[in-house]
Amino acid sequence: MSEGVRTDATELGDARRRIEKLVCDMPGADKPFSEPWEVRAFAMAVAAYHEGHYEWSEFQLSLIDSIRSWEKGDGGEPWSYYLHWLEALETTLASSGALSDSLALDERTRQVLSTPRNANHHEARREPVAISPATR
Amino acid sequence: MTANPTDTPLRTQEEIAARVKALESVLIEKGVVTTKAVDRLVEVYENEVGPQLGAKVVAKAWTDPEFKARLLADASAACRELGIGGLQGEEMVVVENTDTVQHVIVCTLCSCYPWPVLPPNWYKAPPFRARIVREPRKVLAEDFGYPLPDSVEIRVWDSSSELRYWVLPQRPAGSEHLSEEQLAELVTRDSMIGVGAPKPVVTEAAGA
Repeated sequence: MSEGVRTDATELGDARRRIEKLVCDMPGADKPFSEPWEVRAFAMAVAAYHEGHYEWSEFQLSLIDSIRSWEKGDGGEPWSYYLHWLEALETTLASSGALSDSLALDERTRQVLSTPRNANHHEARREPVAISPATR
Repeated sequence: MTANPTDTPLRTQEEIAARVKALESVLIEKGVVTTKAVDRLVEVYENEVGPQLGAKVVAKAWTDPEFKARLLADASAACRELGIGGLQGEEMVVVENTDTVQHVIVCTLCSCYPWPVLPPNWYKAPPFRARIVREPRKVLAEDFGYPLPDSVEIRVWDSSSELRYWVLPQRPAGSEHLSEEQLAELVTRDSMIGVGAPKPVVTEAAGA
């Protein structure tokens, strides 16, 4: 990562260093995220850890378990690092008590899927919404 | 996955994305995480990772006129040529800056953005969305330190879930000798949203 040697002492700088430390062993570190949900799942795990809901080592062990299960499995699911990440996050949060109701999560997922993509949004607009003309 | 917590196999990216979204909303309700904390972490990371893809497309457009023509005609298809894309359904449209026109992108209602090339963060903030439409010239000058001459018209485009705009900035002066890879390093996220310029070319004489 290009910013790895940054030494700024700001809160953002601290956050950046903590994250870099956490992800330095991730595969494909030069391009860790290929889908929006991946960075979201990643950030959620780090945020829950920072909030003290589990030890990072617990999460790591859960992640290792998930990947190991996949390796032993029938290969039904294609490889996705962040799918294991997501599973580990759910498992870790369930065992810490922070996420006790997986049925509620299933139901919420169905709600999200059944909501149209353009819900609460306008139609596509093919003209500028504002123009500040040149004055000279 | 053999230990899927739902019994419903996680198949498509859309289904997985929905589960992540659902998980986040549950965790926020339970006070496990806050939107702000998650956004902050995402911001840190996407700034490192995401815009590089868009920068690659911009650098190619700067060096390959035929690609640029295809990009302006059909950005989604042109990005697919480079293996960039993969989201469902939305169309990407690239608008090109010139000496006389500066384009700015906003999503006036929520936070739609062309993910494959351009991650979001601050530009989904409500104050930005309202003001950039009302007084774009002032916002660029005051909020972004990017004053534009009065000879430049500013056009503000509204991204939606189906139609996602991004900006092809002008190639920096003095960059003729740079390779595509070097050019890509000049492209910033702000320049692809239209609230900043690409980085200037640093010459040795200027003390690189």
